[in-house]
Amino acid sequence: MSSLAGHTGLDLHEIEEFLYREARLADEHDYDGWEALWTDDALYWVPAGGPDIDPERQMSVIYDNRSRISTRISQLKTGKRYSQSPPSNMRRLISNVEVVAVEGTDTVAGANFLLVESRERGTTLWAGRTTYRLRRVEDGIRLAYKKVVLVNSAEALSTLSFLI
Amino acid sequence: MEQRIIASEFAEVAVSLDTDANGPRLRIEDLRGGRVRHLDALELESVVWLPEERLRELLDPSAGRWSDRPGDE
Amino acid sequence: MTVRYSELIQPERVHGSLYTDPGVFAEELERIWYRTWVCVGHVSEVARPGDYVRKAVGTQDVIMTRSADGEVSLLLNRCAHRGNLVCEDARGNSSSFRCPYHGWTYRNTGELLGYPYNQGYGGKGKLSLGLGRVPRVDTYQGFVFASFAADGPSLKEHLGAAAGELDRLARLSPEGEIELTAGWLKHRAKANWKLLVENETDGYHPQFVHGSVFSVTGSHIGSLYSDKSTAVTRDLGGGHSENDLRPEFRRMGTPMAWFGTSEAKVPEYVRKMRELHGEQAEEILIEGAPHVMVFPNLFVAEISVFMIQPVAVDETVQHVTAVQLKGAPDMNRRLLSQCVGSVGPAGMLLADDSEMYERNQRGMAARMPEWLDIRRGVGRERVDENGFRVGTANDETGMRGFWSHYRSLMEREDAQ
Repeated sequence: MSSLAGHTGLDLHEIEEFLYREARLADEHDYDGWEALWTDDALYWVPAGGPDIDPERQMSVIYDNRSRISTRISQLKTGKRYSQSPPSNMRRLISNVEVVAVEGTDTVAGANFLLVESRERGTTLWAGRTTYRLRRVEDGIRLAYKKVVLVNSAEALSTLSFLI
Repeated sequence: MEQRIIASEFAEVAVSLDTDANGPRLRIEDLRGGRVRHLDALELESVVWLPEERLRELLDPSAGRWSDRPGDE
Repeated sequence: MTVRYSELIQPERVHGSLYTDPGVFAEELERIWYRTWVCVGHVSEVARPGDYVRKAVGTQDVIMTRSADGEVSLLLNRCAHRGNLVCEDARGNSSSFRCPYHGWTYRNTGELLGYPYNQGYGGKGKLSLGLGRVPRVDTYQGFVFASFAADGPSLKEHLGAAAGELDRLARLSPEGEIELTAGWLKHRAKANWKLLVENETDGYHPQFVHGSVFSVTGSHIGSLYSDKSTAVTRDLGGGHSENDLRPEFRRMGTPMAWFGTSEAKVPEYVRKMRELHGEQAEEILIEGAPHVMVFPNLFVAEISVFMIQPVAVDETVQHVTAVQLKGAPDMNRRLLSQCVGSVGPAGMLLADDSEMYERNQRGMAARMPEWLDIRRGVGRERVDENGFRVGTANDETGMRGFWSHYRSLMEREDAQ
């Protein structure tokens, strides 16, 4: 972990702008826009049963590399991913944004979220803390890693097939 | 001394190797109750050889900590 | 009002109220969940003495423990003093449980070891109390089953032909044992548990419900259940059923094709299997894993193991984990990865199944046409060489088997 004052690190404003955009693309089911945020070495992870499990040995809710993110998005785009067809109506709030570390061209940030999902099943509240690894590239910022620790990750969860 | 925590939902103790005495001892601290006990090699060996039945008796809350018999601590 | 199960369950249709009536759910708990053998977990979840995990049998909160002498017990999570939970954590290691309310302490076999300030009870050992124990616990291929009935059919009798399917799962391990050590995803559905059970061996839905993922991944699963498929649906008796995909895998004739991979990708595993099984290895590697629903709550879907937990008439939790094959680390990584992609709340298969369970439950609120139709394939069923009813890959033979057994259990007390 290098200094937070490193030249390549992102400032809080840049980070927030990116997180808000990522949240809006997910809320509005802009699948192509959301997928375009990711780097080639992407990892999208939602652990189950607690925050510190070993995803190579334990079950996760989502543990997608770049190729599986692409499959997930393609499936959503078929219009026959019934758990998201019709899509959930959603809005999420992102707050408590903090810079955790700067490592080379990557900035690791943490943020809380509160998401309200509405669909015919009813209204579901989702909440948790997300860790992002953001990478500065020539034409902006990309997402290399997103770990979403749900506050209720140890409990039985409703279907979660939207982009969290 | 490097301290290790051994915890479950029922108890939480810190164990470490104590070398302050003339010989080494295991230091055990009840982190919830604050009490400390040292066990020397012979005491530890005795625990290893304690019949299962005797060990079980120690887990009876009235066996010591929550005893209401006169004379018990 | 007494529910007339013989009227509500007919050979080709079942009544919608069976999925929506809270009275039926209450009777199911007594006549099925607290009577027959119900799968609770796997011995590998409590591998060491003192290990414990919290589990459910029906709506009962139970603790699965392994004692110092290696015995697996199922204890009810209720202090004998004032009914408090004695165990709060999902898993841990402790030879004894101490109730946090008044300190009553139990061995992990349920035996009461003592209570604080025992003079109030006249001294030590004066109370003949303990934690409740599930009366019968037995295992098969490491799966732990519970029966709240002190007497009744043995586990072996209950499993009947389904036992062979669990054998087929275990023989895929180079050490002949599976392990369920990857932890469980818990997926909540606002739907009756029977919708899940029926769906598990329903070969009619995959091409519709899972068309989205089949089309983007080029998966061969859809074709296994097509009208051209040589796979069959089998009523194994006792409410158990399977989609027997072996005819299709044999037709392909390629080792590991059942898993959508090739032997070149898992050379170490294939080598070990050939070393162990000799010529028979080809059959095992070609036929792959079973797809079997064991009444009432254990579902093995090739690489995933599900346990269905009823919560309320319109609510069910489906627990799921990846099959892990003892002695096959190269396979286990792939099994876990494929399982995580497919199942659970975000799974590319199960999220859509769950959506259907929930829509199904809401749909049944409509007053008409009252019945659910289960006749698909009735006219083309045959009886196989072992005496089991067999339908095509997408016939409702499994559902009819389920309902026939369900009725026999639910009716039994009507006669009394």
